[in-house]
Amino acid sequence: MPELRKDPIIGRWVIIATERSRRPDQFASQSKEQEDPLACPFCEGKESQTPPEIYAIRPRNSNRNGPGWHLRVVPSISPFLRVEGDMDRRGNGLYDVMNGVGAHEIIIETNQHIANIADLSEDQITKVLNCYSDRILDLEKDSRLKYALVFKNYGKGSGGMAIRHTRSQLIATPINPKRVKEELAGSRAYYEYHERCVFCDLIQQEIEQQERVILDFDGFLAVTPFAGRFPFETWILPKKHCCDYTCMDAESRRNLARVLKAVLLKLKIGLNDPDYNYVIHTAPFRRQKVGYWKTIDQDYHWHIEIMPRLTKVAGFEWGTGFYICPLPPEETAKFLREVKI
Amino acid sequence: MPELRRDPVVGRWVIVDTDKPKKPEDFKYDQFVPEGGLCPFCYGNEFMTPPEINCFRDPGTAANSPGWQTRVVANKFPALQIEGELDRKGVGIYDMSNGIGAHEVLIESPYHNKDIPDLLEQEIESYLKMCCVRLMDLKKDSRFKYIMIFRNFGSSAGATLEHPHTQLVALPMVPKNTLEEIHGARDYYNYRERCIFCDILRQEISDKERIILENKYFISFCPFVSRFPFEIMIMPKQHSGYFSHMSPAEISALAQILKATLTKLKKVFVNLSYNYIIHNAPINGEAEVEYYHWYIEIMPKLTQVAGFEWGTGFYLDPTSPELAAQYLKAV
Repeated sequence: MPELRKDPIIGRWVIIATERSRRPDQFASQSKEQEDPLACPFCEGKESQTPPEIYAIRPRNSNRNGPGWHLRVVPSISPFLRVEGDMDRRGNGLYDVMNGVGAHEIIIETNQHIANIADLSEDQITKVLNCYSDRILDLEKDSRLKYALVFKNYGKGSGGMAIRHTRSQLIATPINPKRVKEELAGSRAYYEYHERCVFCDLIQQEIEQQERVILDFDGFLAVTPFAGRFPFETWILPKKHCCDYTCMDAESRRNLARVLKAVLLKLKIGLNDPDYNYVIHTAPFRRQKVGYWKTIDQDYHWHIEIMPRLTKVAGFEWGTGFYICPLPPEETAKFLREVKI
Repeated sequence: MPELRRDPVVGRWVIVDTDKPKKPEDFKYDQFVPEGGLCPFCYGNEFMTPPEINCFRDPGTAANSPGWQTRVVANKFPALQIEGELDRKGVGIYDMSNGIGAHEVLIESPYHNKDIPDLLEQEIESYLKMCCVRLMDLKKDSRFKYIMIFRNFGSSAGATLEHPHTQLVALPMVPKNTLEEIHGARDYYNYRERCIFCDILRQEISDKERIILENKYFISFCPFVSRFPFEIMIMPKQHSGYFSHMSPAEISALAQILKATLTKLKKVFVNLSYNYIIHNAPINGEAEVEYYHWYIEIMPKLTQVAGFEWGTGFYLDPTSPELAAQYLKAV
């Protein structure tokens, strides 16, 4: 009998298929397309092919926009949103419109032509995680912006580009996005009723049940969510309550680098290097103003959602927001637990 | 300067690229060309599917044999099961229930290689009529709160079988996207005492720039807030919550506009994969039909949804709907 499961935070129902299941290993990704690494504009020595850098980790004696760097952040060549200008909110009959003000940055995670962040050293991943924090904090200073989203598209199936040089993106928006608002509203409603954080409760229950736990070490928990939308969907949550990614201390970031690497390596080895997206879910910029949400520090809990792209999202999902997950998360967790890295 | 546009019904913001909009030739998409081979939906292979639930067939032909025009069977790999109780329960902080529902497949025509643009209008009418018949029938089961009709055409749109078909899923709860639409439409109705979709229709008809086609009962247009490039909506001019309440004249008008719209779309994008969805009001007492208005949403598979969209629910449309409508009108 298939099961219907409800996401405890945003209330989305998911159908967990039990009868039509393929085995976990039958979801493994197909072979990758070839690319020309020499055409990559993100490698060391090609700095002139990107817009000038906004941020870089590089030795003191190296020149801006020259070689010798460890990590670079540049504006997107084809930005979704622009930094210059006013928002100019306006109406057009019953429609609302504003200018696309915001920021769109590309975080080039290494000077080497390496495709998957899982193959970087823990040290280098720590640099990437630090950079996320630095860039979010910098953009928070711009009072026009309300939210910064850090995400990664790995592989063509995830909406990524043909050039396979590992990088993340950061987009800062002038409004709080719908998906973020839903998560915040769900967390707040739970908190109002229980006076506890829904994510903390989730962590506690997952640790007790163990069924969906992939990894649990160094203060982080990796689980397949109870009502996951996609097979092998994985969340990484800090066990210590905190609503804001940028509040992590240096040691936690090193620990997160270890856990993130381990989870991504398990996906890579177990499923033949699948395409994936990951998204950092963190609190919006918390500025004191009228209507400021006073409990956000208590009721929201930052985390990372990883979505391997092994199935296609079809009409049913787009139409209903109801997802069909062809494998129970208990099975995918077990499979990933057993993958040796 | 890119433009941010807000969907008036559900409040979703979309970024529209107005500076360097993508033209049809800029999209690289996987073309879908049927390969043929053994197909359970073709004439003579009726035994390969579960027995038919409903069928329009020539007089004198036996059930589950050739001679049919439109055939409905249960999905062989159903996402939901029809028998049993819902049995809602909690597991710690989680809520769950049994997967009760119906999952049917509507084989639109016996032709393996004919998409809707290739069918005759009367063949499309028979298909649309069958959709209505199934909706009316499943509505009688009071466990169901919502019936979703959708069509995945082509492999990039998620179709696993080549032979064109439509799916129907009856759900024991109203899905999240529909609830959001209903909440948005209800708020608008409470404020203005008008249906928001009727207001959208009026504005589109007077703005003209996003309209692709219009006939007596329907318009097809590129919505002001499109999530995907070349997204299309077909909306009845007459206010109605349910697709299944169409009159015979409306069904023929819909067959005409659906065929013409998809023909245009597939002229601009040869061998395109696409999805469409029929949005209906919920059934069995979950909604007020004064403020909900049924429509068809067509989503071409030209782009991939990436991390940004998953994380924010914000979408990026690289071709403004005004431009998309221009291209579609011109072919």
